[in-house]
Amino acid sequence: MKMIQVENLQHTFLIGKKGKEKQVPVLKGVNFEVKKGEIVAIVGKSGSGKSTLLQILAGFMKSEQGSIMVNGKETAHLSEVESAAFRLQQFGFIFQNFQLMPGLTAFENIELPLKLQGIKKAERIEKVKKLMDKVSLTEVADHYPNELSGGQQQRVSIARALITNPPILLADEPTGSLDSETEQDILLLIQSLNRELGLTFIIITHDEEVATIAHRRFRMYDGELVKEEA
Amino acid sequence: MLFKDQLDFVTQHIKKNKLRVFMTVLAATMGCAFLIVLASVGFGLQDSIRNEILSNEKVTKIQVFGNDKFTEDQIHEIKGIEHVETVLETITVNASAHSFFEGRDTQSSLSVANMHDFEQVNGKLAEGKYPTKPNEIVVGYHFAQTLVNDAERKIIEEKSKKAEAEGTYYNGSEEGYKDSLIGKEIELSLMPPIDGAEETEKMKYTIVGVKKKPSYDWMIDSSVYMDTEQKPMLATNLAATGKVKEDDMFYSEFNIFADSMENVKSILDKLKDKGYSVYSVTEQLDKMNVFFLVLKIGLIFVGTIAVLIASIGIFNTMTMAVTERTREIGVLKAIGASPKLIQRLFLMESTFIGIVGTLIAVAISYVISFVANAALPLILKAATGEDAFGRNEITFSLIPWQLVLIASAISIGVAMISGYRPARKATKIDVIQALRQEL
Repeated sequence: MKMIQVENLQHTFLIGKKGKEKQVPVLKGVNFEVKKGEIVAIVGKSGSGKSTLLQILAGFMKSEQGSIMVNGKETAHLSEVESAAFRLQQFGFIFQNFQLMPGLTAFENIELPLKLQGIKKAERIEKVKKLMDKVSLTEVADHYPNELSGGQQQRVSIARALITNPPILLADEPTGSLDSETEQDILLLIQSLNRELGLTFIIITHDEEVATIAHRRFRMYDGELVKEEA
Repeated sequence: MLFKDQLDFVTQHIKKNKLRVFMTVLAATMGCAFLIVLASVGFGLQDSIRNEILSNEKVTKIQVFGNDKFTEDQIHEIKGIEHVETVLETITVNASAHSFFEGRDTQSSLSVANMHDFEQVNGKLAEGKYPTKPNEIVVGYHFAQTLVNDAERKIIEEKSKKAEAEGTYYNGSEEGYKDSLIGKEIELSLMPPIDGAEETEKMKYTIVGVKKKPSYDWMIDSSVYMDTEQKPMLATNLAATGKVKEDDMFYSEFNIFADSMENVKSILDKLKDKGYSVYSVTEQLDKMNVFFLVLKIGLIFVGTIAVLIASIGIFNTMTMAVTERTREIGVLKAIGASPKLIQRLFLMESTFIGIVGTLIAVAISYVISFVANAALPLILKAATGEDAFGRNEITFSLIPWQLVLIASAISIGVAMISGYRPARKATKIDVIQALRQEL
């Protein structure tokens, strides 16, 4: 079953002073598809366009041309409000810098998407506790992000992405801020979540090591996507 | 997001920036309090002047000009108008009433009226009842006080001179007859205001009622009132002096009384339609209300400027809040918060500042108003020596609920408007840019 299907995705950036802008094509007709339960890695150097691809997939920005089908729904033309609601239901995000709310505890950070969904407190507490237990965070539930190690912070970030049970997880350099030992922990966690819950992962990375856990691998090169053998 | 969670979110951020929010609330409080206190002066003055007018005149009274005397038909016609309680003809005798009692005497005005109508208009007496028999009379509240003998007259003269030297006035309240006059018989003669005219023969009357105290402290009411049945006898007595012409003996004044203040206007309109030249104090009140409405709008406008200045503070605080939280807003948007929710969260914060500022401002304004009304008369009395200030007759500041409502609406409305732009800015934050911000 196709979870994501991208066809002829094109995007151009305007760079330079107003009136004297230069057009720089970032995505030059990207085509790819992701099946349910797959881990797909998109590797590439900085500036290759891989982050732009992720942002367009997530609905943070709109593409100029092309179509994106996510879980059977065309998302390329959704409004900002529709896109936010769709994101909340379909995607979980794992960021390089964890992007946790500094004023909230680990528990509250994980709880946040449930609050956005308007779920009642009792139900939220139950769900968060269960998940924290699963990703071994129960002991640090009341800790603030600055009281957590990098690995723990990324676990919180992953738990926050998982809490709404989204079918797809988008990870942007998920181990970029971690040491190699912690990196392995996180990659193992991603693999086990994929196996146990059948979650679909799209991992954007420049790290070839990270890409080794993917079932399929694409290489982004100068705005074009090329499939590689895993 | 549940409303309670939205509130939690907002209060959490406010707690994080206590000092900044406190200073902004303080500015909002000062602006709103200034608006309320300033406008309260307009409300206070209007109230004072309104009370002054109302205590001076009976509000339901409609004066009629230009008709020396109403015919029975006219009175019947006027009484037939809806809500007219009565038409009172008060006949003033063109002579002073010289009253004698136990070696004391006093001179006062004498009026004759239908006692039934008179009772309807004047209501309860301070003491006694209205006359029911021909020789019964009602006297003014100060009648007993003005009944003095020669010795007391001298004392009053001395006290008056002394008071005059001190720049004040003595009204003779310490002298006069001290006991109740109810049931007492007095002798009364008439003194026509014509040179060479002698006093009429003395007539005997029994005092059965004493009128209420006049609404003003400085008013002295020592008049004598009797029923219209006495009019022929008074005329005979005056004629006996040979100096007073029949036409000059009495002056009639007709007043129409409505059953309530609200109905005065409709009666006035009907009487004007019928060609009567009429006047009521309510017309004066209407004109005054228009004047004060303009004044109050002006004061509220000036006060609103203070609120607008405070709103600059709210705008700055909210802009700072949005700038500081750019990354947090980015994360919220990334994980699926709708732009509407983000806008609402920031609008709630600026509204919170407006509401808290307004609540404190209302409380402070009431305190300032209370203190002003209590202290200003004393200060003005000390500075000017005017007794009127000391008697608390002037309301310097009055805060009716309508003013609280208007000021709250302006203050909270302005707070919301000044928070709107920063809130919009928050929704426009670019997720990618926000997430790239340094931690």
